[in-house]
Parts: sequence; C-alpha cells; structure tokens
Amino acid sequence: MKKGFLAVTFVLALLMVGIGFTHAPAVQAKTIFIGMNIPLTGDIPKVGESSKYAGQMWLEDLNKAGGLKVGGKTYKVKLVIEDNESKADSAVSVATKLITEDGVLAIVGPQSSKQAVPAGEVCNNYKCPMISPWSTNPATTKDRPYVFRGCFLDSFQGPVMANFVTQEFGFKKAAVLYDVASDYPKGLAEFFKKAWEKLHGAGSVVAYESFTTKDTDFSSQLSKIIKSGAQFLFLPQYYNEVPLIVQQAHALGWKKPIVGSDSWGSPETVKLCGKDCYGCFFCTHYAAAGAKGATKAFIDRYKAKYGYVPDDVAALTWDSLHIIQKAIESCGKLTGKIKVDRKAVRDAMAKIKNFQGITGKMTFTEEGDPIKCAVIVKISDKGEYRFYKSVCP
Amino acid sequence: MTYFFQNVINALQWGSFYALIALGYAMVYSILMLFNFAHGDIFMAGSYIGFGVATGLLYLVTSGFFSLPHWLILVLTIIISMFLTSFLGILVERIGYRPLRNAPRASAAITGLMIGIILETGNLALLGARRLGFPSLIMTKTYEMGGVFVTNKKILVVLVSLGLMLALDQFVRKTKWGMAMRAMSYDFVVVPLMGVSIDVIAPLTFAIGSALAAAGGVLYGIAYPVLDPYMGILIGWKAFVAAILGGRGSIMGAALAGFLLGFIEIFVTMIFPSTLRDLIAFSIVLVILTFRPYGFFGKPYSAKLRL
Amino acid sequence: MKERNGKRFSTIRKWFSGIPALGWLLGAFVAVIIEYYFGESLADMLGLDRIPVLFGVVIMLKKPAAIPGAFAYVFMIYVLPVTIIARITSKAMNWLAVLLEKLPLWMSAILHLILLYYILDLWADMSDYRLLLLKLSLIAIMLTLSLNVINGYMGEFSCSHPGFMALGAYTASIFTVGLFMNDRILGHALISTIPSWMGQIVFPLGLILGGAIAAIGALVVAIPSFRTRGDYLAIISLAFMFIVKSGFENLEVFGGPRGLGGQPDWATLPAVFIWAVLCVWTINNFVESTMGKALNAVRDEEAAAEAMTVNTRKTKMIAFMFGAFWAGIAGGLFAHVLRYVNPGTFGLKKLAEVLAMVYFGGLNSVIGSIVGAVGFNLLSEMLRPLEIFKWIIIPVLLILVMIFRPTGLIAFKHFDIREILKPKLKMKERV
Repeated sequence: MKKGFLAVTFVLALLMVGIGFTHAPAVQAKTIFIGMNIPLTGDIPKVGESSKYAGQMWLEDLNKAGGLKVGGKTYKVKLVIEDNESKADSAVSVATKLITEDGVLAIVGPQSSKQAVPAGEVCNNYKCPMISPWSTNPATTKDRPYVFRGCFLDSFQGPVMANFVTQEFGFKKAAVLYDVASDYPKGLAEFFKKAWEKLHGAGSVVAYESFTTKDTDFSSQLSKIIKSGAQFLFLPQYYNEVPLIVQQAHALGWKKPIVGSDSWGSPETVKLCGKDCYGCFFCTHYAAAGAKGATKAFIDRYKAKYGYVPDDVAALTWDSLHIIQKAIESCGKLTGKIKVDRKAVRDAMAKIKNFQGITGKMTFTEEGDPIKCAVIVKISDKGEYRFYKSVCP
Repeated sequence: MTYFFQNVINALQWGSFYALIALGYAMVYSILMLFNFAHGDIFMAGSYIGFGVATGLLYLVTSGFFSLPHWLILVLTIIISMFLTSFLGILVERIGYRPLRNAPRASAAITGLMIGIILETGNLALLGARRLGFPSLIMTKTYEMGGVFVTNKKILVVLVSLGLMLALDQFVRKTKWGMAMRAMSYDFVVVPLMGVSIDVIAPLTFAIGSALAAAGGVLYGIAYPVLDPYMGILIGWKAFVAAILGGRGSIMGAALAGFLLGFIEIFVTMIFPSTLRDLIAFSIVLVILTFRPYGFFGKPYSAKLRL
Repeated sequence: MKERNGKRFSTIRKWFSGIPALGWLLGAFVAVIIEYYFGESLADMLGLDRIPVLFGVVIMLKKPAAIPGAFAYVFMIYVLPVTIIARITSKAMNWLAVLLEKLPLWMSAILHLILLYYILDLWADMSDYRLLLLKLSLIAIMLTLSLNVINGYMGEFSCSHPGFMALGAYTASIFTVGLFMNDRILGHALISTIPSWMGQIVFPLGLILGGAIAAIGALVVAIPSFRTRGDYLAIISLAFMFIVKSGFENLEVFGGPRGLGGQPDWATLPAVFIWAVLCVWTINNFVESTMGKALNAVRDEEAAAEAMTVNTRKTKMIAFMFGAFWAGIAGGLFAHVLRYVNPGTFGLKKLAEVLAMVYFGGLNSVIGSIVGAVGFNLLSEMLRPLEIFKWIIIPVLLILVMIFRPTGLIAFKHFDIREILKPKLKMKERV
C-alpha cells in the first residue's frame, strides 16, 4: 500500500512537471481588464441584461479596431462580467473580487444605488476607478475621489420637472406616487416635492403617496390622490410599475396629466402600457425617436442585434464604458503596474471635459457627478418618445 | 362616502388574489400539514402559462384557423391554464414532497422553497429578463356609479374568484374525493388504512391548489398586465400569512383571511400615510394572532412535528 | 469489483484514521505556508494567471482550458501537503495530543484555535477577496447556528431571522456611526477622534447592544406565539420581519431606504473570528446544557416535557431570545464588514438563504450548521461565473440533499470538543 501511494505521488508529480513545461509561462499578454458589476439575477434582471449587451457591443467595437491604443501600444481588452444578484453583500464581494482577483483597471456598475453605495466604498478603498451609470444616490460618489457616475442627479431632475410642469400647464397642486422601499423613486419624489413647494408654497403637494417594491395594486393610493384634487400626478417610477399605475389611474376615473422621470425611458414602458401612456411627459437622458448621429447609430445597432430599442440603462452604460475608454486613452501610457495605472485612469477621468456621449455632453464635477442636460420627452400618439424640450443646468 | 366605497371595491379585487392564492396554501396545509413554499411561484408559472395560452389562441384566431369571441378566449385561457398548471402542482408534489413524506415537515418546506427558486430562475433563463405584457383579452370599460369607479375587469376578477371558491367548497363538501381529503386532514395514519391512498390525495390536493393559483395568475394578468419572473414571491408570502391566519382545517377560512388581508392593506393606506402600510398592516395581523392564536376558524390541534 | 473498491476505501480510511485534529491542522498550516511562498510560481508554472482563489473552481468554470492546471494546483498545494504532513507527523501529533489532553479542555481548545486562526489568516492574506469571503462565512456560521437553535433544537419554524439581523445591524451601526463617525445622516460624531485600538474595545459594546435589541424584538414575537403550540410562529415571525423592514424604511433618521453607510472598519478578521468562536462555544454549551435537553424534550413531545417539570413556555422563550441575540450580533458584524446597511438587504431573499443554510447543513447539529454555512457560502461564491444558472444548480443540489438526507448533511450530532481534539491512536502506541 505504501509503495502504491508513493508510486501514485511520483507519477502525479511527473505529470505536473510535464504540464508545467508544456504550458511554458506565457508572456503576460497585454490585456486590459474592465469589470462589470451588474444584476443579472434578482429584482432587476433587465437592468443587468441591458448593461451586459451594451458592454458586449462596446467590446465588439474595440475588438474590431484591434484593441485599445494607449500611447502607441495596442492592448487587448477583456470584460469581466460578474452577477451581483441585486444584493448589497454580493455587490461588495463582486467588487472585491474584480479588484483583487481579476486585476481590473476600472469597474462599471453596480447600477442601482443600494449596491453602488457599498461597492463604491470598496472601490474607493482599493483606489480603483468605478463608474456607476445609473445610481442617483448622492452617497455613491460623495467624498469618494475614485467613484464617478454617468447620470444626472435627482437634485437636478426634481426641479427640472417642477419647473416644466409649472411653465407648461400652469398647475398649482401636485400629487406624487412613489415606491418608499426603493431609494431612487423616493429620493426623486423628495426633491420634486421640495422644488414644487418652493415654487408654489407649502402644502401645494396635496397628495404624497407611496407603496412598496413589487406592489401591483395601487387603487387605494390612487383613490386618495383623486380625492385630493391634485391637477397632475408625478410618477418617478420604473417601467414595470408605470403601466400598472397609469392604467389603474384611468380605470379609477383620473383624466389629468401624468408626468414621469428618467426611469420611464425604456421602450418597455409604452409596450406594456399601450394607449394609456400616450400624451404623457417625462424627463430623460435621450429621446430615441428622432435621434441623430451617434445616438441613432447606437440605437439602430442595438435594435438590430438584440431585437429591441435600448433603454436608458444601456445608453448610460455605453457612455460610461466610453468614458473609461477615453480616460485610459488619454493616460498617455500604461505602466503595467495596476495600482499606478488605476490612479492615472482616475485622474484622467476626473479631467474629462465636454465628453460627447450619446446621452449628451458631460463634464465631471469634483464629486465625480456629471453636469449634463436633461431632455423632456412626450409620448406621441404612435407611442414614440418625441423630443419636446431640452433643459440644461 | 364614495371614497369609502371606492376603497371597498379596490379591496375586493385585491383581496380576491390573496384569497385565491391562500386557498392553495390552505389546501396543502390543512390536508397534508405541509407548507408549500413553491406556491407563490406556481402562481407565477400559472400566469405565464396563461400568457402562452392566450397568445397562442389569439394568434390562431387572427391567422384565421377558427373564430372565437374574446370572452370565450378568456374562458378557454383560464380553463386550459388551470389544467396545465395542475400538472405543475403534481410535479412539485412528486419531486419535492413525496420523497420527503417521512422527513420533518420543515425539510419539505425547504424543497418547496428551492423548487420555487428553480421556477423563477428557469423562467428568467428561458424567457430572458424582459417583462411580458399580458394580452388584453377584454377591453377595459369603466362604469361610474355615484362617484365610484368600477371596471368590468374588477367585476370579472371578483366574480370569477368567488365562483371558484364556491366550486371548491362544493367539491370538498359534496364529492367523494372531497370527503377523502377531509378525512385525510383528520388523520393521515389511520385514513390510508381505510383504503384512501395518500399517493392519490396528495397530488390531487396540489393539483387543485395549483389550478386555483393558475386561475389567480390569469386574472392577475388581466388586472395587472405586467408579468415578471419574481412576481409570485411577495404576494405568495403574504397569501401564506393569510392561509394560516384562516386557521387549520378551514379552507374557506383561508379565503376569508385573504380578503381580510386585502381589506387591511387597502384601508390602512386609506387612513394612515401609505408609507406605513406594511408596518401597520402586519402589526394588525400580529395583534389578531395574539388574541386568536389558532386563526379565525381553526380549532386547537397538536402540530407535532414528525421529527 | 465493488467489494474491492470498498476494501480500498477502507484501507485509505485506516491509513488516515490515526491522525488527531492537531495533525490535520498542522497539515493545513504547512499547505498554506507552501501556497504563501510558492503558490504564485506554481500557478505560473501550471499556466494559470494567478493563484486560484477558491480552490480553482472559479477558474475552471471560466476557462475550461485551465481545468488540468487548476486540478494540479489544488492537488499539489492542498491535497498532497495536507495528507502527507498529517500522515508523517501523526505519531508526533498523537504524542502532543496526549500531552494537551492533560491540560484543561479550554486551554487545549484555545491552542487549537490559535493554530486554526493562523491558518485562516495566512490563507486570507493572499487575497482580500478570500478575506471578505472568510468574514462573511464566519458571520453566516453565526446566523445559521442561531437559527438552528430555533428551527432545529426547538423544532419550530421561525422566519424572522432577517428581522433580528436588521435590528442588530442597525443598532450596532447607529452606535458606532453615531458616536464615533462624522456622518451626513447622523451628524457629527459625539466622541470624535478616538484611537483605533479603542475601537476594538467599544465595538463589542455596540454589537452586544444590537444583540440585546434583537432579543427584545424576539420577545415581541415570542409572547404571542408561544402561548400555544402550532405553526403560528411561522407567520407571526414572518409578519415581524415585514414590520422590521418596513419600520426601517420609514425611519428617515437612519437613512430610510437609502441605508446607513460609513461604519468604521472595526470588523477585522480577528474580531469576527473571536465572535464566531464565542458564538459556537456558547450555543454549543447552551444546547448541551439542561436547558438544551429540555428544549429537545419540548420539541419531541411537549406534553411529556411539561409533565416532566419542564417549563415549556419559559424554555422556548429563552431559546428563542438566545437565538435572536446571536442573530443580532451577526447582523452587527455583517453591517460592519460591508460598512453599509439598508433595509432591503433583510428581506425574503435573506430569509431563503438562511433557511437553506440551516437545512443544508443539518438540524440539531452545531457541526452541521458550520458545514452548511461555509458550504453554502463557498458554493454560491464559486458558482458565480455561471450567472443565472447558479440559482438553478444550487436549489437542485439542495433538493437532492433534502431527498437523500432529509434532515440535512450532518444532523443530530453532538459537537464534542473533547472527542474532536483527543489523540486518535490506540493506547498501545501511546505508552
């Protein structure tokens, strides 16, 4: 037995040495790794899917060009896509894994704030640049030099909508319905309320109602809103709730306008909502119908490839990846020492001015938040998102 | 006053869903003493199956194979998806519960939970992350009665679910199978010796529960036409609360508790700030259970775990 | 053929049966040291980009070409050194174990734990990802064990563990963030700038406070539900979980749904390790005590237990609060490892996870809970490259475990520390 054991060990050892020789230490290929920390399962799988598709399209472009050129050298790019299951703890493990194990140069995502806030902490501690395309919580980038975001903040969007409604319709009484358990709608609802009350005095938001994530019946809240005598309804909700709320509101006899936020910006909103949503206004990053130039090219390509018009997440992720690309390119050269390179990329990213993305021009503030314009879109009678107005800070 | 009646109508619709789903939980719980945590996801699957059936029928009609009025399509969709989903229930029983018949009850609950996760993720993997819009089989018509708005969909939901509940009640009380089920709920040691096989009763219980969930799923699709793979989780767990709130041994108690939960949720929102809805609604449940620890219609019993 | 295989298997078992726990630990220690110094070059030699982080599984799933290399790596770094060292030193280690046996049990246990700690520390030192996973696994052990007290030893079905965790996490976070950190939500630190060593002293206070609040929360669940026997605990606890989650969503002071961030970095590996050891030790003592036996009696036949002078209601309440206390501590540590806490984390998803860990590992068994928590955590991390299919494979595995071992992998086993640590060779060789 003892002999057998030794023999086996010996053979295995030989085998391994053999493997070692055949796999002669490969010269470390010049590869740049970019991490994606996105929710492919969990509450919002659609967001993950859109980000993944946008990432793959970006990678395809780079591969076609042969790689990423930095200071005369061409580097291969690889995307490391990891699923954070839409959980805060998973997002932290994924960020840690991407940074310490996969040696990524920069990370895109997480998308929603409940994961972006803790993951941002990790990225900032390890000094790895991170850009969250979609997180609107101020805490994501606050006091974190290494964390950026790709979208405008709620503190900008709330007043934009308040001003728009006041100018457009001349209304005085507002109603708001939002998801209390999700921080994006809640934050936006608060900023909107503040802005509206600043314009029309305290108590001008006559109904301020809420529900919980995954709710599908809003009849009670809507009855309350109808009773309150509000002149319009502000609905900072995602596209999966918008159709239900709008339809139920109409079924309860609501005939006044409904306005929304950038989270309506997915074509699914109209697809699921149908005629009920026609004529509604919302604020977003870009208007798909009537888009021109690079934006149109992106939309057409995405649609041809995956079969549907890209939503705001896809567009913002696309822009974020291009910001990272631009930052890497403008680094001058990469040393190969990942820590040095990450710092260089971060510095280059902070310096980006007037980046021309498909969702508008962007310049980062010191906090890492972009200054960019919002677009107000009207849903036409054909169900298209028609450009209506542009509002810049 | 119109505001109050409006909310009564709202609560009736919302409660119908809780009641329909709670019935499935209560069947399994009352008769077999098991928690079927896959039930919320069976409801989801039922809704998706309903989506498939309705789309298929609509396609056949538009491509001219035969012509059917829309209301008939709706009836067919409900019946066919109830039929198909009942097989899913039997499958769940076969995979998750039958092998564990002599195991602790909680272990079977875990397999149910896991089957639920498989259904959710399987759906996500098969159909992708896009949400599906349930085809609108009937046009929404809104009726106004003295300031109270009622849609034909709401009436449909409430009537169909009440009808199904009555049918179930008759089935359990009047038929031989129903009698066997009730017998089983008294004693599953002695009754099998009397020639009522648990291998027949258990799948039947799961099948009926799943069929009701499927009906609920189709109606849900009509009332709230956005389907996603995780739609069954929250409503399922809440219906589970309603099922046990009703009391063991009383299937109709579960239905009533389902309506009650719907009413509590809607009326809490009516009276209090809506942000506090879950907090207050479940505190009420807690208080009810403190005073009626066996639920509304349950009798004291010994739930000796088969550990 | 089958017989021969069985025989061969038993020879292998005999081959290793004489090794005491100390020997295995030493083997692991050597393996980790080897990995620490030679891991990188070996990985390079085998054509791997870097040290396989979780025993090579992640790499294998991502790059099928790396499978032989990863296998060889795991074999050469872990399997070979551990088995060889453990076997070679078995005599010496048995001799040492005999010596240690003469010491009081706690002293010998501490010596073993120190060795274990150094193994884990070295292993985690190679990558911060490992460190994070290790911390989360240790916390998962605490959670699983504390739920096992209720669902396993007491035999009830409780669904409120995420709620207790949330209470602990928030209390501990409010304590540390409110007192010692400048925060946008909770304002300026009441006690600003304390030296970092002080943190390790006040941190346990915050955790214990969190545990205590969770235990008080448990009282809210326990009072109505233990008046009778039945499944009402299941829904009362579920309702409690919804109430806690909704409550924190409405508490604007603590960030509402946006959550509370910026916890100090005090949940270091030694801190988490010590808490986990404390948890295992107290829970093991609890379930082995008279109280624990009474608890088992209540589970098996409440009426009989009552007749045997067991105060069933009091026993159940104490056990329930005890479980909740440890869940609260685990929650506090969880919040400080992530350095962020939000109400959404403590929902139905967490509940499914904790339940899965308990029933996967095994009811009524301390060692089962440890295996369940670590196994589930590692598995869910290792299978991450599979994306969506991960959540099909894990449930299928769990269903298989339930079908073939309905009470979990290692159920109804005593966790006897003396038995584990004792020398394994027969007296003949020891004298």
